[in-house]
Amino acid sequence: MTDALRIERLTKTYAGGVKALDALSLVIPDGSFFGLLGPNGAGKTTLIGGISGLVRIAPGHAFIFGADAATDLRARLLVGVAPQEIHLDRFLTTRELLTYHGRYFGMRRREAQARADELLDVFDLGGKANVKPNRLSGGMRRRLVIARALAHRPRLVVLDEPTAGVDLELRHELWRYLRRLHAEEGVTVLLTTHYIEEAEELCEQVALIRAGQMIAEGSPDELIEKAGVSTLEDAYIEAMRQ
Amino acid sequence: MSELALIQWRGALALAGRETRRVLYLWTQTILPPVVTALLFLAVFGGALGKRIHHIEGLPYLHFILPGLLVMTVAGQSFANSSTSIFQAKNEGYIDGVLASPINGWQLVLAYMTGGLVRSGLAALVVGAAASPWTGGPDNAGLLVIALLFTSLIFSALGVITGVWADTFDQHSFIANIVITPLALVGGVFYSARSLHSPWSTLTRIDPLYYLVDAARASSAGFHESSVAISLAVAAGVAIIAFLTAATLVTRGWRLRP
Repeated sequence: MTDALRIERLTKTYAGGVKALDALSLVIPDGSFFGLLGPNGAGKTTLIGGISGLVRIAPGHAFIFGADAATDLRARLLVGVAPQEIHLDRFLTTRELLTYHGRYFGMRRREAQARADELLDVFDLGGKANVKPNRLSGGMRRRLVIARALAHRPRLVVLDEPTAGVDLELRHELWRYLRRLHAEEGVTVLLTTHYIEEAEELCEQVALIRAGQMIAEGSPDELIEKAGVSTLEDAYIEAMRQ
Repeated sequence: MSELALIQWRGALALAGRETRRVLYLWTQTILPPVVTALLFLAVFGGALGKRIHHIEGLPYLHFILPGLLVMTVAGQSFANSSTSIFQAKNEGYIDGVLASPINGWQLVLAYMTGGLVRSGLAALVVGAAASPWTGGPDNAGLLVIALLFTSLIFSALGVITGVWADTFDQHSFIANIVITPLALVGGVFYSARSLHSPWSTLTRIDPLYYLVDAARASSAGFHESSVAISLAVAAGVAIIAFLTAATLVTRGWRLRP
């Protein structure tokens, strides 16, 4: 079976010399819920930018279901990204935003509209279909960004810190949506997060990265056992110390 | 056509539709101001001052300036639309949704240019229609459309380049104020280049907009100072160069993808 994502020695050095990724390699199996944990500046957002075509990556390779993310535009069809920072087209309503997004990825108008309506229902945004994004609450905007990532029916969904800066109640609500998304849409999910309990709660496999390098990988239980500690949080702290 | 190509074209058409929609949605900012400005130019120069100036190169002054005003309107609005739309999308971050799509760089440029073509075309249409009771229709509508189309293509592409380049609104405005407005004002809209002495005559003749104004004037007033065929050929060349430059920069991700 083709891996959902295969990263091979990916390196990214920004202008100014900051090395965000340092020969990072990673494999995410098809159908898994995969967590990427690391401190600020670890390279998580750069990795996501590289996968989605928003950051130029070289040397190294990122393959999405076998398609090279840097050179093969078909890779863009296979991945949907919900970025950490929410930037939404202010000229469009919630429904139009999802419809246009689907159409940018080649869906026919009617198909994109039907998909938008379906996602508005799934994410409980049906009542806000004709509202501009700046009129939505923070939680609704966050849900809309996740819905947008799914609009073109990608096989790999990347969620960049979807619960960063949100209150506990909303975080649990978003977890419910994420579980539903994984189960009902049958997609592979790559989740980056700062919250250890979030990874523990949602992810089957977890990778720990620091300074653009992979430092540990496995299921939460495997990482705990390998570190000889009792919780994933302790395993994380232990790995970051080394 | 391959499946990917079809997907990319659908995406580009959707983006072009979004750009058109933005122009129409913001019509009080995109269509109304240039129309009012052009009509004021016509009223002041063609109406009030025209009575004193009477004829230039054998033409009533209103007839003389209308083609140039159309070119000036099209150039300014094409540039403003493409540059503002792409600058806004970049500045507010929502361009990422488009950059992450499978649309090719050159198709993305074409889609953003569509907004400029629509906005400038609508503004020119309204101004031309408003002036027609006094000036009549163009003698050669096809030539006028071609001259305005080349004008729009050139300045829409330059707008895309500027929108991609600009990191601040000041940078964005700088190009509009320092490059586009002077080009329009010394392009022979209000005067005949051969009636001027050097260096003004030379300054006008090195302005690329002058040749488009001259071609437009040939279509509607029958008068021109340079070869229409050469003017259009040069305009086509400049349009191609501007488009290819914009497409290359966007494809490479210049100032868009770190």
